[in-house]
Amino acid sequence: MKHLNKQSKSRAKQTQKRNGNRESVHLPGGWNLPPFGVHQFLALMIVAVALWSVGLVWLALQGGQQWVGSWQQEVKVHVYVDQKQKKTLTLLQQSLEQISGVENVRLIERVEATVWMEKWLGGSDLDAEGFTKHLPESFEVTLTEPREEGVLLRIKQLAEGKGAAVNDDEIQLVQAGDVLGTIQNLAWFATLVLGSAMALIVSNTLRMILLARAEEIFLMRLMGAREWFVRLPFVLEGLLLGAGAGLLAWILVWPLLWVSESWEQGLGIDLSGWMMFLPLIFSGAVVGTIGALIATTNIVSPENEG
Amino acid sequence: MMRYKTGKVALSGLNMDIPQGSFVYLVGESGAGKSTLLKMLYGGLRPTSGQLKVQGTMIRGASEVQIRDLRQRIGIIFQGNRLLFARTVFENVAMPLRVQGWDTARLLPRVKKVLSFVGLEDRVWSYPETLSGGEQQRIAIARAMISNPPIILADEPTGNLDEDTARHILDLLTALNKLGTTVLMATHDLHLLTSHPGLVVQLHQGALMTGQKP
Repeated sequence: MKHLNKQSKSRAKQTQKRNGNRESVHLPGGWNLPPFGVHQFLALMIVAVALWSVGLVWLALQGGQQWVGSWQQEVKVHVYVDQKQKKTLTLLQQSLEQISGVENVRLIERVEATVWMEKWLGGSDLDAEGFTKHLPESFEVTLTEPREEGVLLRIKQLAEGKGAAVNDDEIQLVQAGDVLGTIQNLAWFATLVLGSAMALIVSNTLRMILLARAEEIFLMRLMGAREWFVRLPFVLEGLLLGAGAGLLAWILVWPLLWVSESWEQGLGIDLSGWMMFLPLIFSGAVVGTIGALIATTNIVSPENEG
Repeated sequence: MMRYKTGKVALSGLNMDIPQGSFVYLVGESGAGKSTLLKMLYGGLRPTSGQLKVQGTMIRGASEVQIRDLRQRIGIIFQGNRLLFARTVFENVAMPLRVQGWDTARLLPRVKKVLSFVGLEDRVWSYPETLSGGEQQRIAIARAMISNPPIILADEPTGNLDEDTARHILDLLTALNKLGTTVLMATHDLHLLTSHPGLVVQLHQGALMTGQKP
């Protein structure tokens, strides 16, 4: 009997090899995970590339936000007045305070400016106080949150009209922050669109596998299988496929980070690939599960056949 | 009565009672309603009027859960055996028990037991395509009987087989019947009735032939 079993097993293996069939993975509770084939591999690659591009968009946004820095939280603009026009300070401060969208206008004291200068000189032997004497008088203008539209332009026009100057770099940073906000909205939109596309790709792949296994599903139903018994292997496959694609996408992020390392350092940005690990795997799993749920929503068995 | 959505009446005026433990042949010409009746018995089709009670379940008004429970207590054999050719004999035969949630460790002894009943215990790891038509049908019988159902429905199980093999298949079904299983078999092979007697229900154009009342 043992000999017969051995013979039978080896014949089975040969048949399996010839048919190109793969053994299903048995799960607890009697479930079988569908075998991993070419359809799943292609879906994995497509979803991985889509996830990778979404991941890159968010990484780029992260970099942009680091570059803009704390300006995202509290926007402050500095207005400089030449020492020769010192007598106009009070009038300018009052005018700035009256601008709609300005929360507070503070004159920076000389002592504070000296401390800043010392910090800026990096503790060198240079005379910070001496340098400070030549600095213009500065106002720190705090803006209301949320920022009113056109407030920066109003400050700039008023300051320049009264012979003062605005720190243009700060204004550009604020504008960059605005652009980043728009990009973030676009990133959400792209994530949603690509996420739906990924879910549909997984759904389509699983649908093909479902068609290939229609007979098995029909038989399972005929034997009184619960609907979840039929659906769960496919949902699990979708989840694994998505999570696998997420892992692949995460691995693909690293070469790009290494290539852009010197550029990142130049901009003072520190992008971490590890930060993308969980979001990519989690979003991949979610997308895969949604795709599988769509695919298995309505599995029609040919009840009227046979 | 069973009327299809197209309006065609498949079965009408059927009135019968099949006691537990019977061996019933459903005979009749093609299109007489044999397969439709079998499908109704496992809840694949529901009567459009009248009553049909199988194992205490009223098919017409039964919920999906009730139909599922009923199907777990019915073994079905098809003419084309409907085995999964990409799966081993073990996986094919074990399927009804997997559906019922049996764990893998308990499956193998049970599969071997039913395979020895049909005389194919040495084929447990084979693929169905390596087996002959008769052996495939015996595997289908093993699959139908593995969960020890009180009813086995067989839709022309000997349809594609030669006479000797058909007789062997019927021997197996008769043996199951002797163990207390109700067997309902749709067939065209009337010559089998002489060697394997049973109740005969003759259908004609969706109705019982005159004088028939099992």
